[in-house]
Amino acid sequence: MRTKFGIIVAGLGLFCLTVPVAAHHGFDTEYDSAKVIKGTGVVSKVEWTNPHMHVYIDVTDASGKVINYNLELTSPNAIQRLGWNKNDLLAGEKVTFAGHAGRVVESRGALDSLVKVSAPKQEIFKGERPEDLGSK
Amino acid sequence: MKKILFVSGTVAGVTLFLFVQSHAQQRGQGGGQAPAQSGGRGQGVVVGQFGGKPVVQPLQRGAGYRDTISPTDPAMNGPVPRMHDGHPDLTGPWMGGGSDGDIETDGGLKPGELTSLLLPWAKELRAMREKAIYEEPYIYCLPMSVPRVNPYPWKFAMNYTSKGLQFIYLLHETGDAGAHRVVYMDGRKHPVDPVPTWWGHSIGRWEGDTLVIDTTGYNDKFWFDAVGTPHTEKLHTIERWTRLSYGTLINDFTIDDPGTFTKPIQMRFVARIVKPTIDLMEYICAENNQIGIAGGYLKSGSPGIGGGPPPIGK
Repeated sequence: MRTKFGIIVAGLGLFCLTVPVAAHHGFDTEYDSAKVIKGTGVVSKVEWTNPHMHVYIDVTDASGKVINYNLELTSPNAIQRLGWNKNDLLAGEKVTFAGHAGRVVESRGALDSLVKVSAPKQEIFKGERPEDLGSK
Repeated sequence: MKKILFVSGTVAGVTLFLFVQSHAQQRGQGGGQAPAQSGGRGQGVVVGQFGGKPVVQPLQRGAGYRDTISPTDPAMNGPVPRMHDGHPDLTGPWMGGGSDGDIETDGGLKPGELTSLLLPWAKELRAMREKAIYEEPYIYCLPMSVPRVNPYPWKFAMNYTSKGLQFIYLLHETGDAGAHRVVYMDGRKHPVDPVPTWWGHSIGRWEGDTLVIDTTGYNDKFWFDAVGTPHTEKLHTIERWTRLSYGTLINDFTIDDPGTFTKPIQMRFVARIVKPTIDLMEYICAENNQIGIAGGYLKSGSPGIGGGPPPIGK
C-alpha cells in the first residue's frame, strides 16, 4: 500500500505540500524521511518558481568544504497566500535550517524549517506571516 | 488568562458541535450521522442530501484547503447565487470536485469496486504503473484531465454573449492542468472522429439547475489518478455539476469506457468554495520542475525537467 503524502506530512510536520511525485505517490519516493539534514549557512539563492519554491543554502563544514543545499518548498502561490513575499528572505542572509535528504542526492532535500540567525524564533515561509515583519 | 482561554475554547467547541448537529438535523440526516466518513478520506460534515445520497464535505483535504471556507462555517449553507437568466452561478473559485490520488476512494466507491471492473489488460497496466510512478505524465507538468484536480483553485468562467450563455471555460490555476478547457453551450454536437486530445471535446446543457457536461474525443495519455487507473480513446465522460448551496458543488461523474471497464461507473466528488479573497494566480509548472532529481531517477537537465520532452510510458 502506498504511503500517502498527507499522512507523512502529519507525522513529520513538513510543509512542502505539493511536490508532484510526493503529493501523489508518497514522500519517500523522493525523500528519505529517516534522514534529517540540518545546518547553518548563507542563503545563496531563493527561487520563487513553479511548480515549487527552492531555497539554496551554502553550508561550510569543519574542513572548509562548502555544500550547497537545494531545498524544496511548496508553490510560490501557496506561500504568497500566507502573506509572505520576496523580501522576506534574500540571498546573503545567514539562516539555520532543517529538512529531509533526497533519497539519492542528499543535498537536494525537502525543507522543514528555516529561521534567520538574527531572529531564531520566527520560522520563514511557515504559517501565516506575522504582521510585525511588515514594519522592518 | 488560562480561564479565558478555557471558556473561549469550550464555547467554540460547543458552538461547533451544536452547529454540526443542528445542520444535520435541518437536512434530515439526524445528529448521529454528522460528522460522517467521506470516501475513506477521514471525517467530514454532511452538508445536505442530493440524488438520494448524503453530500459530505471532508473536514481535512490538505493544506490547499486552508484557503476554503470551512464546512462548519454557516456561510457554506447560504443560498445559491444566480445569473440574470436564472441559472445557478457556478463561477467559484472552487477547490476539489475530483480526485488526485485514487478515484475509487475519492469517488465514493467501495474498496476494490473499481478494480473489479477493469478489463484484464487495464488491471495489468495499472499494476505496472504503480511501480513506474516516474512515468506519470502529470509530474512532467502535462494535464491531469477529467476528473482529476489538485489542491489549487479552479473556476467556471460562464461566458455570456448577446446570444446568452455560449461557452463555459474551466480555468485551473495550475498550468499542468491545461490553460483552459472549453464547454460548448451553443447546441453543437460532438465532431465525428476527432483528433484525440487531453481534454477531449465537451458540450454542455442545463437539466434544471444541473450543468451536464458530455465529453468525448479524449486521448489515452493521462492517468485518472496517482495509482495509474487507465483508459482508452473510447472514453466518454458525463459530469453533472449541481451547486447545492453557496459553498458546495457536487460533481456526479460517469466514466463510460468499454475499452477499459466492463460497465459504466458512477462516482461522486464534492467541491468546496474558496474564500472570497482567493483568486487564481499564475502557475507555469514547467518553469523549474525538479522532479526525480532528489530520488535519483533524473539528472538536472534531463528530458521532462525544465521544459524538456516528457518520457510518457505505458
